[in-house]
Amino acid sequence: MLAFENAPPFAAPLRFFLTAPLFAVLAGLLVAFEGPDIFASRWTPGALAATHLITIGFMLQVMLGALIQILPVVAGVNLKRPLAVARGVNVGLSAGALLLAAGFLSGIPVLLGSAALILALTVLLFLAATVLALIVVPTTSPTIRGIKFALFSLAGVVGLGIVLALGLAYGWALPLMALADLHAGWGLGGWAGVLLAAMAYVVVPMFQLTPGYPARSSWWFPVFMLLMLLLWSVALLADWPLLARFGQLGAALAGIAFAGLTLRLQGKRRRARPDATYRYWQLGLTNSIFALFLLSTVAVWPVAADIDGWTLAFGVLLVAGGFLPFITGMLYKIVPFLSWMHLQNSGQAKVPAPAMNKILSEAEMHRQMLAYAAALALLLAAIFFPAWLARPAGLAFAVANGWLWWNLAWAIRRYREYLAEIEAALAAKLATS
Amino acid sequence: MSHAKTPHVVDARYMEPPGPFVATMEMLDTLKAGEKMLLLLFREPHPLYKVLRQNGHDYETELLPDGTFEILISR
Repeated sequence: MLAFENAPPFAAPLRFFLTAPLFAVLAGLLVAFEGPDIFASRWTPGALAATHLITIGFMLQVMLGALIQILPVVAGVNLKRPLAVARGVNVGLSAGALLLAAGFLSGIPVLLGSAALILALTVLLFLAATVLALIVVPTTSPTIRGIKFALFSLAGVVGLGIVLALGLAYGWALPLMALADLHAGWGLGGWAGVLLAAMAYVVVPMFQLTPGYPARSSWWFPVFMLLMLLLWSVALLADWPLLARFGQLGAALAGIAFAGLTLRLQGKRRRARPDATYRYWQLGLTNSIFALFLLSTVAVWPVAADIDGWTLAFGVLLVAGGFLPFITGMLYKIVPFLSWMHLQNSGQAKVPAPAMNKILSEAEMHRQMLAYAAALALLLAAIFFPAWLARPAGLAFAVANGWLWWNLAWAIRRYREYLAEIEAALAAKLATS
Repeated sequence: MSHAKTPHVVDARYMEPPGPFVATMEMLDTLKAGEKMLLLLFREPHPLYKVLRQNGHDYETELLPDGTFEILISR
C-alpha cells in the first residue's frame, strides 16, 4: 500500500503542467517580435502582455494544478470532482491569459473586459472548490495556514486585476499605477510568495533532504506578509504614501528572510549530489534576494525607481529569475515522482515501477536548466542593451521554455510506455497464477 | 533510537518518500497491543493519517520548535 493512493487522477495536474510552458514560449516570442520597444518601460502594452502570459499562463497554471494534486498530501483534503475542476480551471486560465494579452496589445476594451470576466469566473471556480474542501480542515501546520492565507491573497490579486483591466478598458478615473503596484504585491507576495513558502516547508526537506524550517518563523511568515499587504492597501486607500512604503519594505524584507533561510537549510542538505531541482532553487533564491533588495531600496529611497532599468530589473529578477526557476525546479521533481507513483500503483506490488530517472534523466533536466540560465542572463542584459539583445533574449527564453515542455512531454510519453508494459506484465502474471 | 515517549522510534526526517510510510507500517507490525511508536518527520503525513484511521490506530501530533513533527501512534 502506498502513501499516496488517494491522490487525484494524474490527468488533473498534468494538463496544467503541459500547458504552462507553452505560455512562457509565447511570452518569449512576443518579446522577440516586439523587439527593443518592449523594454522601454514596464507599462508598454507588450511588457504588460508578456508579464501576464507568464504570471497567469505559466505561474498560475502550475500553481493551481499543483495545488489540486498536493492538497490531499499536505492538508489531507480531496477536492470534489478534481478532473472537472482541473478541466474548467485550465481552459479558463488559458483563454483568460490569451484574451488579456490580446487586450493589452490591441487596447480593445471588449478583449480586456472578457478576459477579466473569464479569469474572475475561473478563479472563483477554483476558490469555491478549494475553500469548500479546506474550510473544515483545522490549521495544524504552517503549510495549511500558508495555503489558506495564499488563497485569500489570490482573491485579492484577481479582484484588483479585474478592477484594473476594466478601469483600463473603460477609462475609469483610478490611480492605475499605484493600484497596479498593489496588485503585483498581492500577486507576487501574498499569493505566489506565501504559497511558495507553504510548499517549501514540505518539499524542501522532503526532496532535498534538508533540516526542517523552524516552526515559529514558518507560522509567522504568512501572517506577517498579509499584514504588510493589508497595511499597504489601507495606506493606498487613505493616501498615506509613507505607510505604503513601509508595507512594501516589510514584505520585501520578509521575502529576503525566507529566501536566506532556505539557502541556509539547503547548505545543510544531506543529499550529496546537487540535482536540477536544487540548482534551479539556488538560482531562484539568489535572484529573489537581489530583486527584493531592489524593492527594499525603492521603498526607502523612492527616487531609485526612476533609475533606468531599475523596476524592469526587479520584475525580470523576481519573476523570470525567481518564481519560474522555483516552479520549474518543482516540476522536475513532481512529474517524475507522480509518474513513478502511478506506475507503482498500477503494478499492484507485483510488477515494480522503473526508477524515476528512467522517466526523466538528470542530464536532460540539467541541459534545459543551462539554456534557461542563459536566456535569463540575456533578458537581464537586454534591459540595458535592448537594441542589441531584446530579440535574441526573447528567442532564447522561448527556446528554453519550449525545451522544458519537450522534457515534460517526453517524460509523460515514457510514463505511458511503462504503464502499457506494466499492465501487460501484470496481465501475464495473473494469467499464469 | 529511543525517546522519552516510547522506545519505538522511526526517525524519518531525512528519508525520501515513500521511506517514512514503509518504515512506519513495518514498525507498527512489530508492536504488541498497548505499545506506542513515534514517527519523526519535517512534515505532517496526511496520507499516513488516513491509513492509520482506516486501520483503527490513534495518533497525536506535536510540532517542535525545530520544525520536527512528532507523531505518537498507538498500536
